[in-house]
Amino acid sequence: MLRNASDSWGALAKLFHWVVAALILAQIALGVMAASWRVSPTKIELFFWHKSTGMLILALVAQRLLWRLANPPPELPSGIAAWERAAARLSHLLLYALMIALPVTGWIVNSASNVPFRIFWLIPLPAIVAPDEPTADLAALVHGGLAALLALALVAHIGAALRHHFVKRNTVLIRMLPGTWRTP
Amino acid sequence: MKEIAALLGLCGLLAFAPCPVQAADWKMDPAGSKLEFVATFEKTAAPGVFKEFDARLRFDPDKPAGGSLEVTVKVTSADMNIADVNKEIPGKDWFDYTAFPQAEFRSTDLRRIEGNRYVARGVLLLKGVKQPVEVPFSWTASAAGAVMEGELTLKRGVFGIGAGEWEASNVIGADVKVKFKVKLRKAG
Repeated sequence: MLRNASDSWGALAKLFHWVVAALILAQIALGVMAASWRVSPTKIELFFWHKSTGMLILALVAQRLLWRLANPPPELPSGIAAWERAAARLSHLLLYALMIALPVTGWIVNSASNVPFRIFWLIPLPAIVAPDEPTADLAALVHGGLAALLALALVAHIGAALRHHFVKRNTVLIRMLPGTWRTP
Repeated sequence: MKEIAALLGLCGLLAFAPCPVQAADWKMDPAGSKLEFVATFEKTAAPGVFKEFDARLRFDPDKPAGGSLEVTVKVTSADMNIADVNKEIPGKDWFDYTAFPQAEFRSTDLRRIEGNRYVARGVLLLKGVKQPVEVPFSWTASAAGAVMEGELTLKRGVFGIGAGEWEASNVIGADVKVKFKVKLRKAG
């Protein structure tokens, strides 16, 4: 049950999916608020939680990818066109790429801006680039652009899942839901 | 009178201001000296420096009584090496460069604690606020001169550094550690 079956996701893959999904939604809200808030203690708090959550997501996604490599995903049900398979493959690849690239570009912003930071007040985050204001500004721009791309990819992802369920009436959505759901 | 003359560096020049016999005059060598302050952001150390400051000392390590220490700090030379922070600290809520460009510490009460460790009790004037402060330091003499080194912790709130909503200490800590290493040579 922990592992994936040929027609359904295992418990660990579901846990990774939903924990990371919840963290990403919180993370987007934190990031938008932190970036737009006026300079104040609240802004620093928002950035602190945004950075801590980002590093948590990066660690979880790394484990999630390892688990996925060790444990092939279930096959898509029948009745899915070639273009749909291609779109699914591409959009999932994009989601994984963004789940890595967003924390990494955020990490570059933090390093280049030279702000001392410990993840959840505990783990000091080492710098991956030298302090440099233009680098920080550029990385922040890329980070924001990738975040917008992620928002679009999430809309496509959620839209496709709902389409599978309500239009195509297949098991793609329900087999990712927590617990054991009977296939229709 | 003697203290005032000593502070002004006039001793020996004026008949009414004799120098204490054992005390030597010391001047700072800026190249070998450093004045750091360590604030905290979200409980993580955030170090900064004052690039420009000067220390003048009348001090005999064997007879610290009768000595004096005068430090002037160009507050406007503060640098925390974080672009966004450096944009904020000149403002009214923080150092308020326009109104208070300079800080001063003056002591005429120097004592030995034990061995090469001493304390200078005096008054710190920072952002227009005067507070009694004890500055502990170690004294290391060398052929070229001497090095005084030490650190103390100040409460930023006492001096109104971080005003208004910044007074809260959960994000920016209340304590600021001040570390100094002052290289001195005997004044000619």
